[in-house]
Amino acid sequence: MKAKKLLAIGMTLLMTTGMAGCGNAAAGGSAAATAQSDTTTAAGASVSADAASTAAPAAEAKEENPIITTTGGDLNMSWWGGDSRHEATMKALDAYKAKSGVTVSYSYGAWSGWEDSMAAMFSTNTAPDVNQINWNWIYQYDAAGDKFVDLNTVADTLDLTQFDQKYLDMCTKDGKLAAVPISMTGRIFYWDKTTFDKAGISTPTSLAELEAAGKTFKEKLGDDYYPLAIGEYDRMILMVTYLESKYGKNWVEEGKLQYDEKQVQEGLEFIQKLETEHVIPSLATIAGDGADSIDKNDKWINGKYAGIYEWDSAASKYKSSLAEGNEFVVGDEFKDMGKYQGGFTKVSMAFAISTTCKDPEKAAALLQYLLNDDEGTTILATERGIPVSKAAYANLEKQNLLDPDVAEANKKVMDYNSFQIDPTFEASELKSTDGVYYDVFGGLSYGDYDSATAAQTLIDGVNTVLSAN
Amino acid sequence: MAKSDAAAGEKQKVTLKKFFKNNFGFLFILPWLIGFCIFKLYPFASSLYYSFTDYNLFKGVSKFGLFNYESVFHTAKIMKSFSVTFRYAFITVPLKLVFSLFIAYILNFKIRGVNFFRTAYYIPSILGGSVAIAVLWKAVFRDEGLLNTALGFIGIQGPSWLSDPHYALYVICLLRVWQFGSAMIIFLAALKGVPMDLYEAAALDGAGKWRQFFSVTVPLITPVIFYNLVTQLVQAFQEFNGAYIITQGGPRNSTTLISLLIYNSAFKSYNMGAASAMAWVLFVILMAMTGIAFASQKHWVYYSDEDGK
Repeated sequence: MKAKKLLAIGMTLLMTTGMAGCGNAAAGGSAAATAQSDTTTAAGASVSADAASTAAPAAEAKEENPIITTTGGDLNMSWWGGDSRHEATMKALDAYKAKSGVTVSYSYGAWSGWEDSMAAMFSTNTAPDVNQINWNWIYQYDAAGDKFVDLNTVADTLDLTQFDQKYLDMCTKDGKLAAVPISMTGRIFYWDKTTFDKAGISTPTSLAELEAAGKTFKEKLGDDYYPLAIGEYDRMILMVTYLESKYGKNWVEEGKLQYDEKQVQEGLEFIQKLETEHVIPSLATIAGDGADSIDKNDKWINGKYAGIYEWDSAASKYKSSLAEGNEFVVGDEFKDMGKYQGGFTKVSMAFAISTTCKDPEKAAALLQYLLNDDEGTTILATERGIPVSKAAYANLEKQNLLDPDVAEANKKVMDYNSFQIDPTFEASELKSTDGVYYDVFGGLSYGDYDSATAAQTLIDGVNTVLSAN
Repeated sequence: MAKSDAAAGEKQKVTLKKFFKNNFGFLFILPWLIGFCIFKLYPFASSLYYSFTDYNLFKGVSKFGLFNYESVFHTAKIMKSFSVTFRYAFITVPLKLVFSLFIAYILNFKIRGVNFFRTAYYIPSILGGSVAIAVLWKAVFRDEGLLNTALGFIGIQGPSWLSDPHYALYVICLLRVWQFGSAMIIFLAALKGVPMDLYEAAALDGAGKWRQFFSVTVPLITPVIFYNLVTQLVQAFQEFNGAYIITQGGPRNSTTLISLLIYNSAFKSYNMGAASAMAWVLFVILMAMTGIAFASQKHWVYYSDEDGK
């Protein structure tokens, strides 16, 4: 009997450890399953239209579609994005094979969960040769400078003169050019003009008009209608834009947060005021909508949420998600937030070559094709935003391949926004759903934090990340 | 001398032959054994080591100590996550056991189309925690979803299931209870093993259906109830999918189960050391819960081969 019990306990122990494995597998599987999604675009939408919609990772969270991987090429490459980007990139790789004889295998998927899997690959030195990377990965994964090839060493093959030095500087760390920028991006307002027309007002061109619109929407359209809908990370960016407009300082400079507790509290109260004055819905309201993202939210689709604050590259995605008949317009940066031109721009995404790549010259030749070559850039068009490569831009402009909404939004952002962000701004400890930004703005919106506590929590969280980098 | 050497050699040969003969069976399980060692035992042991370090995926290890375990017990977010996990387990396990036993009991009757119903009830277990189910769950439980619309028809204004921290956990719990198929199948097998003559004897003694169920069926299937209890408990404490795909741990961490927090710590913050420590605390809790279950079985589990003990 004793032996039987011991056996039973032993089996339970084994089962428990075994199930721990199952649990992890399920976790990973699920992560992958969720990561693997992309519902981006309506079939038949023009390449350039969809394209930019997935240019910025923040604009494409939780889309659905499986991670696809092929093997056996002379080089391999990874990227994230939506269907149209996948199709265009594969087409470009096929064309490159026809032109150069180089076969490129690839791995692609949607943004959600992508960073987790790439982090694992970079940490284990198993990443593909060529990778589409998020800007902060240079600092997050290549902190020791051992993950990405210095692209200056392949400058004979990859024509870096097509890129403004200021953009190359953004991808340079400790004198090493870790990546080559593909496009630049920043935040701007987009409006559903039809709903504003229904409320009898024009789309806001200033903060004062936006604040007034909250009241008008409530009175004329009802409690369910809001002129703007923004999530946690959007709130953080809008708050920083407000503070930059008012105080004229970068959020973080030289590894130090530039704002004191009082100023941060003021920024948080600005956001909270928008919520209490019916300009933006509470985070509980948005969560209760049960949508993965605003573009999939019925209330945006049908005009109950009549505005968003998004990356310039996301214009087409939000435009195509609106119900038929609702007119989408690119808004303006608000000039009455303060005396400075608040708002930042950043490298939307970049290409990097892994140090594990056996033939960096061959990889650089591929990048030259994708970034600067007429044929390559024509196929990719604005799939990754408005290109910063002068050769690519000139080619697309000549061929009329620049999506008008994305181009308009990008121009407005680049012309107005005058601040920079520190790469740690997008650190996953801050930006992820488990991070500080979600905690702070969630705490404020749900009433768990007052503005003073929220300010202190935000400052502590940012300083913790800054001190660790 | 040469003779004794030859004898010793012969003896060694026989011993080796005997050894191989006796352990030949291990050859058959070698593939599993290798897989177990590489994919279970090694990660298991290394996670114990890492739990005493500050191992970061990109920065490596710089210090050793008990600090991760200290932070487990001194970090409000982690303690809240354990608390949520306990609530989740204590809600879902009894509910799932009762529900699966109830359905198995019904499906044990001779009714027309019973095989169809058995299959139908098992389907949720196959679907599992997939993206499709997340979409379905959100469609049902969102503010203007099916449930609140149905409640609205009878004049009740439903709460915000997904966005109210008081209700969100129940949405996740329900997903788990809904996947009762495997427990149901096991119960069904156990119910079929209950001798019919015991029911006949009980009926002769005047026992009705309920009395038969509680006085005959339940005592005889207690070993299976115990088995399901332990497995469901283990699974509930390790639940990840529901929280990850439906609520991402929100609102306000009200559905951040410990497995999700471990995942976030490991793969979003790259803090493997802290994640390993949390995983080991979870493991100890699981072992303790399993131990309690085993200790309790002598009071309520009936094994027919032990003279009723």
